[in-house]
Amino acid sequence: MSPAPRHGRARYDVIVVGAGLSGSLVAKELGDKGWRVLVLEAGTGTLGSWPGHLGALDTYYAALAKVPNSPYRPNAAAPSPDVLDLTGLPSGGYRSHGYFLQQGPLPYGSDYLRAGGGTVLHWLGLTPRMHPEDFRTRRTYGYGRDWPIGYDDLEPHYRAAERALGVAGDAAEQADAIGLPFPDGYVYPMRAIPRSYVDDVFASRLDGAAVRETPGAPATTLRVVGVPHARNGTPDPRYDGGRGYRPVGAAGLPNYGERCVGNASCVPICPVQAKYTPLKTQASWDRRRVRLLTQAVVSRVLADGTGRALGVEYLEYEDPAAPAPTTRTAEADIVVLAAHAIENARLLLVSGLGNHSDQVGRNLMDHPVLLGWGLLDHPVGPFRGPASTAGLECFRTGPARRSRSPFRIEISNWGWSWPEGSPGSDVARLLGMGADPAQPRGKGLFGPRLRAALGREIGRQVSVQFLMEQEAEERNRVTVDRRRPDRLGIPRPVLTYDLSDRVKSGMAAAKAVSDQIFRLLDAEDRTAYGPGPLSPGWFRFEGRDFTFNGAGHGGGTHVMGDAPGTSVVDSWQRCWDHPNLYAVGCGSMPSMGTSNPSLTMAALALRSSERIHRDLTAAHRPAAVGPQEGRP
Amino acid sequence: MTPKTSTSARSLDDFLTASAALTGFGAFDLHGTGMAGLYHRTALEQVGGPAVGRFLDALDAAGGDPDGITDETARDIARAIAHMWYLGVWPQLAAPVHTALGRERANTAFTVSPEAYTEGLVWRTFDGHPAGAKPPGFGTWADPPPGAPAVPRAGERTSGLPGPREAGP
Repeated sequence: MSPAPRHGRARYDVIVVGAGLSGSLVAKELGDKGWRVLVLEAGTGTLGSWPGHLGALDTYYAALAKVPNSPYRPNAAAPSPDVLDLTGLPSGGYRSHGYFLQQGPLPYGSDYLRAGGGTVLHWLGLTPRMHPEDFRTRRTYGYGRDWPIGYDDLEPHYRAAERALGVAGDAAEQADAIGLPFPDGYVYPMRAIPRSYVDDVFASRLDGAAVRETPGAPATTLRVVGVPHARNGTPDPRYDGGRGYRPVGAAGLPNYGERCVGNASCVPICPVQAKYTPLKTQASWDRRRVRLLTQAVVSRVLADGTGRALGVEYLEYEDPAAPAPTTRTAEADIVVLAAHAIENARLLLVSGLGNHSDQVGRNLMDHPVLLGWGLLDHPVGPFRGPASTAGLECFRTGPARRSRSPFRIEISNWGWSWPEGSPGSDVARLLGMGADPAQPRGKGLFGPRLRAALGREIGRQVSVQFLMEQEAEERNRVTVDRRRPDRLGIPRPVLTYDLSDRVKSGMAAAKAVSDQIFRLLDAEDRTAYGPGPLSPGWFRFEGRDFTFNGAGHGGGTHVMGDAPGTSVVDSWQRCWDHPNLYAVGCGSMPSMGTSNPSLTMAALALRSSERIHRDLTAAHRPAAVGPQEGRP
Repeated sequence: MTPKTSTSARSLDDFLTASAALTGFGAFDLHGTGMAGLYHRTALEQVGGPAVGRFLDALDAAGGDPDGITDETARDIARAIAHMWYLGVWPQLAAPVHTALGRERANTAFTVSPEAYTEGLVWRTFDGHPAGAKPPGFGTWADPPPGAPAVPRAGERTSGLPGPREAGP
């Protein structure tokens, strides 16, 4: 039974807004400690059932463009941004025609998903830790924002997150190749996911080679390094002092779970759920204490005159296609916003809360991604295995950060799927069909010659992805426009986004490295950037063309800091202005380094859960009457 | 060769024979996808029986070689049918062909069915599997694909690493 009445004024210890990665972890931790938790999810909960999962898989199969949100149905009550919302213009610039209102010089190119389970339903599943120097770039290199805590403060929570998400990796290799500090003898819950044949080919031609970002720059020695994944592999019996690790199976289907079987569709959906999703955490919630209410869009955080959060107002709806919402409220001692960086900022702005510093919505960051692609001189077996199983980590750290953004290089296992839309685009091209049906078509290849040409070309496709660090900049921001509400009347997010010269210089360095990588590979470099409908992220810098994509790694919008005048939350992700209002997730990060941020977000959520537990324990301690001195 | 009489009398077998010529996959493989009937119906629905018949006649007239099709409408139908077999997606037709056929439907691309995607032939051209279906098993991505040389696995390069090298100019 639910711990509280379904309707009317309901009171909880904690309200969590959003059933994604952070919210699911916070609810798990607090429910297990005995607190009554209400989780309000704006989207539907259909993906948590096995039929719902299979339905999403079919939707993905049937989607024309297999973009990250393609398996997940649109929801008029809780609209999600989509990468297909952006179109490039013929001579540069872009048009945005979706949920976001975009007005920046360059487009914010990432999506997220408003549904039970959240955006992590379509993540790739990579879980690299941030590097210690990523937490203090201002002090060390003179740019960006420093964290109020460091790697050492977060390290135990990284381990807790690696347990909660079920990480497979090689800690010794991470320590040796990247310089990440681990406790002595630490192993991940599962052994490393095998790296791909593509990785081995790259390693055989790149390991030990030296490249230079510019002709006079110091040489950097390349090394292909495996990456940790939150993906079921082979448990390591040495884990946890020899107690080992039991992998977590699929959500919604009892007694079903597999290791990664190589479906090669982590983004946007893992058919066997070998990849971690928050639905797995939700399956372990103590449902006597954690109550999930889906199709409940929080429209406002309620606070009293002293700044204390009282609860939330939310809009409950039945039909996602034609929502007719009912307004309700819920109250709690503590409110936790875990709705995504942009949605958290939107809620704070709409509620008029937490913004004494004028930093809410500012410092919007992503990992702008530059792609490089080419053809190897023999088949490599693309479109097999997880999207990426190894990378080049040697440009993530070091003094070059003083002048340009650092970057992490992912070796893609999926051919030209990201840069060129392969293999669909290859078929169309060889058949003589351009993207524009009004243009005259080529003769086209047919029969055995078509079949052979496709095999020859697709089978040799390789690509690399350069994930650039983007430093916090106040001008990159989320605001809301009350004249442009969504279907439920909540103001939509307005984004102003651009890349700094520091990021663009990083991309120039990355492109120079990309050129050398393809030469070392003896590959035919097919990388080309230019304006066009599929290149909304095109720009010119220092006389050269670049096109960037979003990584889906939005952050910074309720930035963490060490003083209330200059930041939104403290190191516990607690709003400076409201001691019982937390805003958790990537929005709290003052910098994201070059690591895919979900693991760090999970570590932060687990750390905040400890603090929330202490807050609640203190609040519920029986009030002492009179002086306590001298009592036993 | 005398062209057969066109229109609706043309059978699934004729469609499959033509599909084999268009795709380079034999009728046995095409039947094996389970998609032949659906694709035949889709082609008939999208451009109409007479146009499919004219395409089949044009292919016959070219001696069964799609390269010999000169009529641009028939050729674009050939592209569309090949595209459907390879990807499971009926594509947009060339705008003039769409107009010439007088189609009373939008000229939009669509995936014929969820299974059509997973039965796409394109994956087989490079010994792959459709992304999201027919997974080959844990760790198989580490093996060389057919026709590729073996390279050292991670951990096998314990010694003899090449020293620092410079990338070419």
